[in-house]
Amino acid sequence: MKNIDIQAKEKALDLLRDKSDTKLITHMNACVRCGLCADSCMYYLTFKEAKYIPAAKVAAVSSLYRRYCTFAGKVAPSLVNAKELNEEYAAEMVDLLFGSCTVCGRCVKHCSIGVDIAYVVKKGREMLATMDMVPATLQATVDAAINTGNNMAIPVEEFTDTIKWLEGDLIDEMENPEARIPLDEYDKELFYTLNPREPKFFPLSISAMAKVFYAAKASWTLSTKYYDVTNYGFFNSNTAEATQIAKNLYDEVHKLRGKKLILGECGHGSRANRWEGPNYLKKSYDFETLTAVELIGDYIRKGTITLDKSLNNEVFTIHDPCNLVRNGGMFKEIRFVVNSAVENLVEMNPYGNDNYCCGGGGGMLAMSEYNEGRLKTGKIKADQILATGAKVVITPCHNCVDQLLQLNHTYKMGVKIVTIAEIVADAIVKNNKNKTI
Amino acid sequence: MNWYIIAALAALLICIISFAFQFFNLIKAGAPRDLSEKSGDLSGAILYSYTKAMMPKHKESAYLHMPTYAAGLIYHMGTFLSLALFVALLIFRFAGVEIPGIISLSIAVLLIITSLSGFGILLKRIVKKDLRYLSGPDDYISNLLTTMIQLLSALYLLFPATEPVYFVFAALLFLWMPVGKTKHVLYFFSARYHLGYFYGWRGTWPE
Ligand code: SF4
Ligand code: SF4
Repeated sequence: MKNIDIQAKEKALDLLRDKSDTKLITHMNACVRCGLCADSCMYYLTFKEAKYIPAAKVAAVSSLYRRYCTFAGKVAPSLVNAKELNEEYAAEMVDLLFGSCTVCGRCVKHCSIGVDIAYVVKKGREMLATMDMVPATLQATVDAAINTGNNMAIPVEEFTDTIKWLEGDLIDEMENPEARIPLDEYDKELFYTLNPREPKFFPLSISAMAKVFYAAKASWTLSTKYYDVTNYGFFNSNTAEATQIAKNLYDEVHKLRGKKLILGECGHGSRANRWEGPNYLKKSYDFETLTAVELIGDYIRKGTITLDKSLNNEVFTIHDPCNLVRNGGMFKEIRFVVNSAVENLVEMNPYGNDNYCCGGGGGMLAMSEYNEGRLKTGKIKADQILATGAKVVITPCHNCVDQLLQLNHTYKMGVKIVTIAEIVADAIVKNNKNKTI
Repeated sequence: MNWYIIAALAALLICIISFAFQFFNLIKAGAPRDLSEKSGDLSGAILYSYTKAMMPKHKESAYLHMPTYAAGLIYHMGTFLSLALFVALLIFRFAGVEIPGIISLSIAVLLIITSLSGFGILLKRIVKKDLRYLSGPDDYISNLLTTMIQLLSALYLLFPATEPVYFVFAALLFLWMPVGKTKHVLYFFSARYHLGYFYGWRGTWPE
């Protein structure tokens, strides 16, 4: 068991003592432990153990708040469920807050009071980060992003080679040398970003988006150094590291003088840059930040690209990434784009803002020590998918794609997993000519 | 004035001051600050958070647990009725106003029903393993005091001789309210506000 340094412990507790955070004060005091959130959490539904009830995760943090930040907790701790922060307690917090919660926020929407459980879990993670207790695997992912510019530590040369190879293929396919994948170009309208899983494992999703850009005649570029849309600092909750990662991207957009930052298909990456980024950097962004889904939606609405949905004629379903939909407001936009690109969409039950997490969120995919639990909780999603009868699952998040691929294998679902760019690229027709590109 | 009435009034004063202090702290901390570009209808979402989002069909905590939800609703109505009754009874007592028998009886019956809901919820907490896991002394004390005040209010209306017990329990409840989880009477409103703000800023709510 890791020894906790006294100073680190005090710094962690100071996070709870912040009297200027009205949200913190509120959610530390609001839970009534009615337990009615239990059935909203995939961990409880899967394991049926009380420790997985969302309220237990809230209690892991709020018990410390009561102990160190309230009069009653200092005078009569056992009376008000106040707990002492020690090595053993902190170790339990790691398993509970990192290993048993994807910060999906499903319980938040369904809580009888309105406690932001996910926010409390993140606060607990932040405390653990302050005490240097982030699971090593997750920390390694954050370190890679800080040290190399991307979370998979892909060297610039390797990335450049992959993109050049994809560009060559695109030029051949389009039979047009203007079908490019620009790198490090200045003054472009769109500064596009990727999840490093794309160049590493799913290069065809880069080609798909490049096709969309080509059809839209977009002015765009990728950076060779800072193209990574992800920010695992959001998950390890080390604010300094999350800020550094967000700043790298912000500075790169400025360096290349991009007009709009386009967030590639990544749920948490979109959230970390669109919603959290300005708060990390403590300033409003001076460029527009859009998700790829919104950009594509805009292209469709304006007629910049034309889609023929009969080209996507299988049965499709959507997996809603928690950070884009419930925590990002993209429910309708995703439906608009998908319904413009496919003929036959069957929704899961539940879906949209009520969706279940795929099980890979919250940094879970990076934490191999929790693989078993991740695949077990993912069964809920696998069952949901199978119940739709769909042959293709669309999801605008490469993290979700990765988890869904593993669920596909584990539960023998026999489905195809695609991103939104891929289905849109497959449905694009050349304007005024009924010919696919 | 009897000692138990003085005790109850003193406890009420402490309760009000303590809640005022907590409320002041919330206000002093200020509204949430978000530097990202707002994308939704913030005031619509905050309103939605207090209204439609609270409807049973929008929350699993309600529609998956209808008996508990209904019991909770009745129980909370009983709590508010008891608190209002405390003030009314004091005023009537000092003004020498008699509550007509039929009204006393009706309110007493109502409060007996609401307190039964409270006992039901307490029983559920004691019997269910998962709820026991979540619970500590605060959970039992909070429930017991809130349930008892409803029952004792009813008894006091029916049998005025129970007056000392009623006021002693009222005093205990007032002292406990700002300390135990009963303080959610304040933080519930603040939590709904923050939830509406969070979802509204991002365009998730109103649905
Ligand atoms: S539903 Fe909300 S208030 Fe009830 S136990 Fe869960 S987090 Fe706490
Ligand atoms: S945020 Fe998601 S995983 Fe975490 S407790 Fe809530 S429902 Fe469960």
